[in-house]
Amino acid sequence: MEMRSTAHRMTSRRRAGFAAAAATALALVLGGTTAPVFAADNTIVFAVESDFSRLDPHASRTWNTFKVLRHVFETFVEEDLTKGPDVEPELVPALAESWDISEDGKSYTFHLRKDVKFHDGTPWNAEAAKFNLDRMTNKDFEFHQKLSPGLMGWMWQDLDNYEVVDEYTFRINLKQPNAEFLRRLTSGGSGAPRMISPTAVKTYGNDEIEQHPVGTGPFKFVERVVGEKLVIARNDDYWDPARRPKADQIVLRGIAEVATRELALVGGEVDIIGTPSPDSLDFLKAQGIEIVSGNSPMFYLMWINMKDPHFKDVRVRKAMCMAINRDDLAKYQRKGLATPAYGVLSPHGPGYDPAYKDCEYDPEGAKKLLAEAGYPDGFETRMDWTFGAGADVNTKGDAEWLQRDFEKVGIRASIEMFDNNTFWDMMSNGMREGTGLTSASWGDSTFAWLDQVVPTTALPPNCCNSGYYDNPKIDQLLAEARGAASKEAMDAKLHEVRDVIADDMAFTSYYTASAVYAVRPDVKGFVLSPRHWFDLTTISKQ
Amino acid sequence: MSILSFAGTRLVYAIPVLVGVTVIVFMALQLVPGDIALTLLGRMATQDQLVALRQELGLDRPLIVQYLTWLAGLLKGDIGNSISQQLPVTKILIPKIGNSLILMAGSLFFVLVFGFILSVLSAPRFRQLTDKLVVGLTLVLASLPVFWLGIVLLYFFGFKWKLFPISGMYNMVNPGGLGQLLHHMVLPAIATAASSIAVVTRVTRSRMIDVLGQPYILAARARGLSRRKIVLRHAVRNTLPTFANIGGLQIGYLFGSVIFTEIIFNWPGIGLLLFDAILQRDVPVIQGCVLIVALVFVLGNLISDVIVHALDPKQR
Repeated sequence: MEMRSTAHRMTSRRRAGFAAAAATALALVLGGTTAPVFAADNTIVFAVESDFSRLDPHASRTWNTFKVLRHVFETFVEEDLTKGPDVEPELVPALAESWDISEDGKSYTFHLRKDVKFHDGTPWNAEAAKFNLDRMTNKDFEFHQKLSPGLMGWMWQDLDNYEVVDEYTFRINLKQPNAEFLRRLTSGGSGAPRMISPTAVKTYGNDEIEQHPVGTGPFKFVERVVGEKLVIARNDDYWDPARRPKADQIVLRGIAEVATRELALVGGEVDIIGTPSPDSLDFLKAQGIEIVSGNSPMFYLMWINMKDPHFKDVRVRKAMCMAINRDDLAKYQRKGLATPAYGVLSPHGPGYDPAYKDCEYDPEGAKKLLAEAGYPDGFETRMDWTFGAGADVNTKGDAEWLQRDFEKVGIRASIEMFDNNTFWDMMSNGMREGTGLTSASWGDSTFAWLDQVVPTTALPPNCCNSGYYDNPKIDQLLAEARGAASKEAMDAKLHEVRDVIADDMAFTSYYTASAVYAVRPDVKGFVLSPRHWFDLTTISKQ
Repeated sequence: MSILSFAGTRLVYAIPVLVGVTVIVFMALQLVPGDIALTLLGRMATQDQLVALRQELGLDRPLIVQYLTWLAGLLKGDIGNSISQQLPVTKILIPKIGNSLILMAGSLFFVLVFGFILSVLSAPRFRQLTDKLVVGLTLVLASLPVFWLGIVLLYFFGFKWKLFPISGMYNMVNPGGLGQLLHHMVLPAIATAASSIAVVTRVTRSRMIDVLGQPYILAARARGLSRRKIVLRHAVRNTLPTFANIGGLQIGYLFGSVIFTEIIFNWPGIGLLLFDAILQRDVPVIQGCVLIVALVFVLGNLISDVIVHALDPKQR
């Protein structure tokens, strides 16, 4: 007792001392050293949702990586992506000034631009084009990129041969016509058919070329620190003065955590971010941030397990389709940053018709169909779902929304969530027993992706006809669509694909996600396109 | 036993632990579902292409052969190439280790400073208001999940009051300078340190309370020593081995915690690398990261043992 009171007496002065010391420590800690440094004049810092894949265009993956690579490397033709997200991009000349297509549609002769040099000074010519085709497709070539054939089947599956006609003329011959050949040349994300400097490949070899990506594009590679940043700078010698970048430099970062991405934006450390959370949009707007959103080809496809005892009945599959209230899902669950989707043709891809529906929302009709199929009291099933990657946000919320819609007609589904890699491994093995439905985002501006999902060639153990939809008619229609002589003929064939699948109700879709970016007010000229990627040459801070 | 021979013995004991770690690291990743070949080639690949790639990567060989090949490489400092980047793992890993050690050192600084201050503040005032406040504070600190605390710190100190930068180690446009590094480090270091501060404070405080109850403290008081002298000269000195021990044990723990902090603050260290590697199923990089974390854990504990040995005469 005595000790405590003494201690108490001793403390008052001491306590003040400690308080002062703590306050000083805190002030030191909080004071920091300098105020936040903001981005220099005309350098744009751009944060996307994940770090980048490899920089070798013939071995790189992911749409986020292609967003950068398409500015460092080019190919014969390009799409003009400066007209906004609502305009179908026009095909324009790039490394070829012009091209001729033979009457049978199998032979493409490219007349190459004569004044182009790679960033290391190597001249662009037909030999350089041959070097790149060899690198992508010729297994015996010294500098063959071994991952290319696996990554780029979508591009070169119809390739027969290629030849140097003269120094500035290069010809590619196909085994069958391919109405999308030129469009696919401009595409990427699973390898990209773009031209890399032969000198650079010979100098650094296939292993080191990652660190020396040398192309002909409007931006040059400056620096890459894995997990930290990727820097590209304006190519002042770019062959097209009209497309010389407005910004001096772009620093690209992958910031996976969405809250960090948003705070870095409002804090001024980053100028543009991809895919803010729908729940943060009001907060960001209140900070003076501009939200740029527009059409994208990314939609959510539903796989249905055709081997499942319930879903093998087409009436059950149709009932499932009719149970989904797509309008409300897009409006409330996705906060308007989505449009309802139907059928298997992705928006902004060939043959897409915004008015098309593979089923109408009709819960009463769905119940009736289920009763006819022998399930007047419904049944239990399981949904295997993925958190996704890149621009996927809150897919679990979507699953729960659908679960509620299904419940209303008697389909009682449990949900199991998987990380993206595990999910796609499962998809290669085919849907599990007991799983009735599964879903993920896909869709692209060409229909190459459909070859991977609906034909019998994609049945397990190949990816990704995971619901065991076994209909050879689809294979034939897809081949005919690819070989169609005109865009109209191709679209018509794709409509047949779509309608056969809708009759069988083997797949459906439920919404198309808008591409959403948040941009600081001092950034000018950021234009979205209806692709998974865009043109960064127009962006600047002036 | 001299310090050197003690450290030597402990180092020898650490070897079987490290060998065990390599086995577990290697095997654990074999249990993870998934196919590296599929990850590399993506959904567009055909079965033939996948089989060919698996063969080339040696994934079709028996596990024990794969492990021994990997271990032989490890001893030569080569743990393979990153799958997603096609660069040697060591080349990617080494700068990240440095970055994580910097962040860990910053966190350890906060742990030791605040752990010490809070213990000295509370123990001599056992069950008084200051003590109760400190105990309450440690309870709060220990219960805060790192990822939550990180976001809250970011929101207030980074965004609202603009005192600290929000992400990364340096400014992206004009990088450089120790000042910039320290400035970027404060928030992630505090977020990482929080629960360790609580642990160190609680353990040190209770040891100091024991010490303050010892007869020699009473004797010192009877001789009229001021409380300040009693605490600083006697109580602190006799609490130091405990403080060093529990502080040292935090090294491994902090290195493990930076994994979470790095993701929130986009700090380019081992944690962020590991996170990206897991997302991309870059197995060689995952193995490298886990190995380094385990190594730091083992070495951290070893260092802490050696320091305690040096500080505490009773152990000699």
